Amino acid sequence: MKLTRRNFLAWAGLSAVGAVACDVFEDELRVQSPVSLPEDLVKGKENWYATLCRTCPSSEGVVVRVVEGRAKKIQGNPNYPTNMGAQSARCDLGLQQLYHPDRLTGPVRLNGPKGSGRFDKITWDRALEALKKELQDRDGAVAMITPPLRGHAALISDNFVKAFGGKRIEFDSLDLNTYKQAIENVFGKKIQPYYDISNAKYVLSFGSDFLSTWISPTQWEVAYGQFRDSKHSDRGTLTHVDSRFSVTASNADRWIPIKPGQEGKLALSIAYVLIEEKLTPSKVDIDDLTDGKGLSALASYHPDNLAAELGIPEHITGSNSVSELIRTVAREFASQGPAIAIGGGSAGASTNGLFNLEAIYLLNHLVGSVGIKGGVILNPDSPIKELSAGSSSHTITDVENLIKDIKSSKIKMLIINGTNPVYGLPNWTGLKEALENEDVYLVSFDYLMNETNNLSNLILPDRNFMEEWGDDIPEPASGYQVIGIQQPIVNPLSDLDPRSSSDVMLSVAQDLGKDSDLPWKTLQEAMKSMSDQLFDLNRGSVPGSTKQEFWNNLLKQGGWWDEGATESSSVDVSNIVSNIVAKDKGAAVQSTGEFYLVPFEHNSLLDGRNGDIPWAQATPDPVTSIAWQTWVEINEKKANDMGIQEGDVLKVQSENFEIKGIAFLSPAQPPEVISIPLGQGRTIGSSYATNRLDGESANVLDMLENHKVNETGSLAWAATKVNVINTNTSLRIAKFEGDFESREIGFTEGEKLIKTTSPNGNNH
Amino acid sequence: MIPKGNIIAVVLVGLILMGIGGFVLLVIGMSWFSNAPFGLSDAPAQPIAFPHTAHAGAVEDGGLGMQCEFCHRNVTKGDSATVPALQQCWFCHQKVTGGDEQAQLEIEKLATAYSDGIPVNWERVHRLPDHVRFVHEAHIRHFTQGDTEDKQLEVKEVCTVCHGVVSEMDEVQPKQFQSLKMGTCLDCHRKYDVPTDCTICHK
Repeated sequence: MKLTRRNFLAWAGLSAVGAVACDVFEDELRVQSPVSLPEDLVKGKENWYATLCRTCPSSEGVVVRVVEGRAKKIQGNPNYPTNMGAQSARCDLGLQQLYHPDRLTGPVRLNGPKGSGRFDKITWDRALEALKKELQDRDGAVAMITPPLRGHAALISDNFVKAFGGKRIEFDSLDLNTYKQAIENVFGKKIQPYYDISNAKYVLSFGSDFLSTWISPTQWEVAYGQFRDSKHSDRGTLTHVDSRFSVTASNADRWIPIKPGQEGKLALSIAYVLIEEKLTPSKVDIDDLTDGKGLSALASYHPDNLAAELGIPEHITGSNSVSELIRTVAREFASQGPAIAIGGGSAGASTNGLFNLEAIYLLNHLVGSVGIKGGVILNPDSPIKELSAGSSSHTITDVENLIKDIKSSKIKMLIINGTNPVYGLPNWTGLKEALENEDVYLVSFDYLMNETNNLSNLILPDRNFMEEWGDDIPEPASGYQVIGIQQPIVNPLSDLDPRSSSDVMLSVAQDLGKDSDLPWKTLQEAMKSMSDQLFDLNRGSVPGSTKQEFWNNLLKQGGWWDEGATESSSVDVSNIVSNIVAKDKGAAVQSTGEFYLVPFEHNSLLDGRNGDIPWAQATPDPVTSIAWQTWVEINEKKANDMGIQEGDVLKVQSENFEIKGIAFLSPAQPPEVISIPLGQGRTIGSSYATNRLDGESANVLDMLENHKVNETGSLAWAATKVNVINTNTSLRIAKFEGDFESREIGFTEGEKLIKTTSPNGNNH
Repeated sequence: MIPKGNIIAVVLVGLILMGIGGFVLLVIGMSWFSNAPFGLSDAPAQPIAFPHTAHAGAVEDGGLGMQCEFCHRNVTKGDSATVPALQQCWFCHQKVTGGDEQAQLEIEKLATAYSDGIPVNWERVHRLPDHVRFVHEAHIRHFTQGDTEDKQLEVKEVCTVCHGVVSEMDEVQPKQFQSLKMGTCLDCHRKYDVPTDCTICHK
């Protein structure tokens, strides 16, 4: 029978009737009356609740669409001061985190040797009894590891572990300690400042990929949109100095590739030009900054002396020299104000990272940008006395000391809450071996399995951020006091039985009589108490004539902020230049090898924390368009010389370690640098994070050598040099780029397709 | 003599035709005896008998005269009319008992479901395909807030336009007044000069 349209429709109709008659759509023929009548459970009616997103450290304000008790869509909260209605791709991951199929359904207890992965389900009563018994038996030998926390989560965790004689370590693979120390040394306050990019006319950034992953990217992306908007004012100019071609570099007007670790020298060279050519505004007291030494304080940073050392390729300077490029940037920075200098990321992750960052932030003082509109605006302290406006952030040195204490049995019980340090620390720290000791009792609050909680004795699954209370003092805030509020917007699915880790800590402390610093029965009670304190301040964005009305509006708005509560911009800068110059000593990168290794945070996986989320895995990297894999960015010409083609599996060797990754050839990659994203290489976790072919997924942290940043003790994660060996095997790289021919619209007939072709013939 | 190949071909074609015919008969038979909304039979039996006559029927006929939207709370507010939560039924029925033994038995089913926390799955009587977007609220607004007399009806009168006089039905029956097929929608849209663009109704 000929398949005509009429025949096709007839058969399709018949098939549909048959399917219906065979009860395929049985559930579609039911209408359910729920038992109770919550106000937001109206069929087909949506509700939007304001809360905070916790899929990345910036904790953006979001509103979530909830239909019939289920979260459906996460969007930026238009009222929230930091992200102002925008949200990053990472916020969308929250839904898959909430409804992840591998979530633990309830508490489990180890039934076998540590690391065997054999766990028995137990009731919450038994789990809490076990927790209380171990806390009593090991009182005085307890420690806790969390990610950097803010608000009541930090306060409750700190006071809980203190009550049992221990301390909390805030662990972050790429900790911000060096950055915070530099901020304190240059601006006199440890609280992170706000960069008013939206009102700036020139941004000079060093190493910080602030349009992708660095600290609070959504906040800066919103501001960057205004900075670039030429409709209302002059379009701002971005110059980005970085050892790799990042998202921020790809957006910049000018990208200056530099040898890793030389960013501070370049910044001081710019400072030299500013002083030498008298480009600083009259209000800037150079004598005060240099202790009367003037230009001689920076004598060794004359642009002519540094041109070779910085590793800036001559060809990017056009017809000029590198020293002339430095002078041009300095003149632009001084003349196109208000101007901001920002530094972070790899610039603060070589062994001289503190020097680099201090030198970079010094530039803001030299052009008078501190405390002005379009400049660096210092953030105020918290409006609530007991809540700190900044997380404390420990370094890898603090974690090493903790590991020593575990190995020497000073610490016999470790509580892990919301982080995965076994994956997130380089292998040489020995945390995994320390935790494999059967005498160490490990408790975890995670609800997805990972490399750390697989060594647990007890796992008490926490609630997802959309299922529990919380608060946040954003870091950085927007130049004034802000407190974000997180509220439970959905109940856990019926087959899940998680409990808020804060509530568990509060109830255990009360049962054991250790609640002198934990006066609340639940986290909700703590939040309400904070709301009452904010109400008593009688200022800020939340209306309400009674405490209850204030509380309702606080939840509705997603937080409290007071645009009038700002910070003074007066900073003591006397002799700051000499202090910074004194830190310029020793090589920036200590190890040997052909290439500098510059790891970077993955745009959606970040440091690996979102590896279990399929959307995070499938989101293409904005620059390379690669998903699901670990790739090694290598200069195209250099790769051709080495006989490396795209897709080749490369062995990347540091002095003591090696990993494998897939070659990605990039004409923009500096020849002496290779870059590898963090985030892959998970060995234990959901199937989305693990089960990869040999060579396509690796943890770049595993190959970092033991180098620390001078004075701060943070991990110098951009201070390792490596060699690259082609394994002569290859894998297909999972990327969008290059799969489609590009055609320019409007070409006349007969014009050929436009393809950009690399020297080796690959299409791009 | 008929070639052997032809016999096999005839038998095969016959079997295929029988198979197709049998399948068609099976489908028609199942549809004939299946319940609404897809089948051709009467209204399906509900897990708890809910006589609309007793609740929404006129007072003079022994009913309570309740408004449709008292239970179908979202009908004037959103897309779906919605069925109420058991809690809402129980507001009244914790006090209101059945008029006879059979009615009391049905109320006890409600009491058990409510106290055990088990939702009740009602059998759907009216259903539009997934690719149709029908907003109850817009239709009720059209017929209750218009500028002519035929558009100034009461809500319960609007309901009868498509569903028939449900307040007089012990069991809600499908397709009593309208077929609820696309032609029904188009006829009405044309009559009241409402747009008939595809995207007005189709997602």
